[in-house]
Amino acid sequence: MASVLGPLQPIVDMVTSPLFLQIVLFPGLTSIAIIGALLGWLERKLTARVQLRVGPLYASPAGGILQMFADLIKLAFKELFVPENSDAFFFIMAPTTGLVLGAALVGLIPFAPGLQIANIEVGLPAFLAIITLSPTLILLAGWSANSKFPFIGGLRALFQQTAYEIPLWLSALGVIMMAGTLNLAQIVAAQSTGWFIIPQALGAFIFLVTSVAEMERLPFDLPEAESEIMMGWQAEYTGVLFLAAQGPGFVKLYAFSALFSVMYLGGFLGPGFLPPLFWMLLKTLIIIVLIMLLRSTFPRVRLDQLLRAGWTTLLTLAILNIGITYLLVVGLPTL
Amino acid sequence: MVAQGIPEIGAYIGFLFVSTVALVIVLRLFITPKDPRPTPEKKKPFESGQIAVGPGRTRFIIQYYPYLLMFVVYDVIAMFLFAWGLNLRALGAPGSVPVLVFIVVLLIPLGYALHLANHRENW
Repeated sequence: MASVLGPLQPIVDMVTSPLFLQIVLFPGLTSIAIIGALLGWLERKLTARVQLRVGPLYASPAGGILQMFADLIKLAFKELFVPENSDAFFFIMAPTTGLVLGAALVGLIPFAPGLQIANIEVGLPAFLAIITLSPTLILLAGWSANSKFPFIGGLRALFQQTAYEIPLWLSALGVIMMAGTLNLAQIVAAQSTGWFIIPQALGAFIFLVTSVAEMERLPFDLPEAESEIMMGWQAEYTGVLFLAAQGPGFVKLYAFSALFSVMYLGGFLGPGFLPPLFWMLLKTLIIIVLIMLLRSTFPRVRLDQLLRAGWTTLLTLAILNIGITYLLVVGLPTL
Repeated sequence: MVAQGIPEIGAYIGFLFVSTVALVIVLRLFITPKDPRPTPEKKKPFESGQIAVGPGRTRFIIQYYPYLLMFVVYDVIAMFLFAWGLNLRALGAPGSVPVLVFIVVLLIPLGYALHLANHRENW
């Protein structure tokens, strides 16, 4: 190929390659950052509407939509310090790694045919395995701060994980039994005859509840319960580190809602008069709004209530769902 | 590739945006200006305005410890079911009998462990 740019040609080729565009623009880093900030605005505005308040108003011509960008700039220029007697390495690295984990989740989601950063064969278990690391990071962040509220928040994240993790995996097993594949793009293709939300209604309910618990959002936001343990594991973070601690919450909300629509709502499948990407984003937005309304509707559960409900009710329902799915796939046993 | 004008510009804008955010974060991490008038209270751990007392790393909550032990065992066991669920259509009913027996056998100790764990909560 005749190069007009000389030695810069490989760089230009790399920058204009489709994979690079996907990683940098959509569904990659730029869109994750912008969508995360917009979701922060949407959550504040929606919660305010539910509670008969106005919410963010001033930071733009239209409904305060730039409020989170203003907060982002403010936080980026605040003074940064590490509290005394804390483990500075883990204190800084834990929320930063959490940010990377959140972005890694979005990379596994098929947003449209071919519009997927990493189309790996074990997409669904990989997603759930990456998300499993986040309570460990929260415990590490809480431990390294050498302060009581963060440490209590980190321990709560640890115990909360034991309550939701097994029902989460077992509810995902129902979808795998129906689809016969672990690849997320093939799970979407398997739903061309019918969405899995109908045969997997119970599994979808368990998955929604346990993923809200995984995201540590109300009613399961025990690790950061701001009215009882003062933001929990985030209590000692300032400035950019507070941003890095808060950001993964919205990125995980985005990724989990996208995963829910991939697993149960047919992903990018939809009527052909609009592009697949539109249907995918519409379904994701509906799930996001549903989860945000859960936040503004329900009170926070107690840790022992959550543990008991997770190990008895949710686990029993998840095993029941596996039994129902077995009968749907294999059929009634012939005696 | 070079002829595609808009994606190229889009990629550059995206790349600049991402690298600017990363640069700001890295710069803020390492080039933090010195506090002109530092006070000893500033770097103390936050305890609702009180003076911090004792070590920050307090004790673990022991009353939920049985759940941790159960989690270590049953989280691994739940993974075994994925191999079965993936090949369910090929295995069919005859191939599923051992797995169903496996599930039932595991649920009995789980019920007993939950019985014990719920009693330990009354400590």
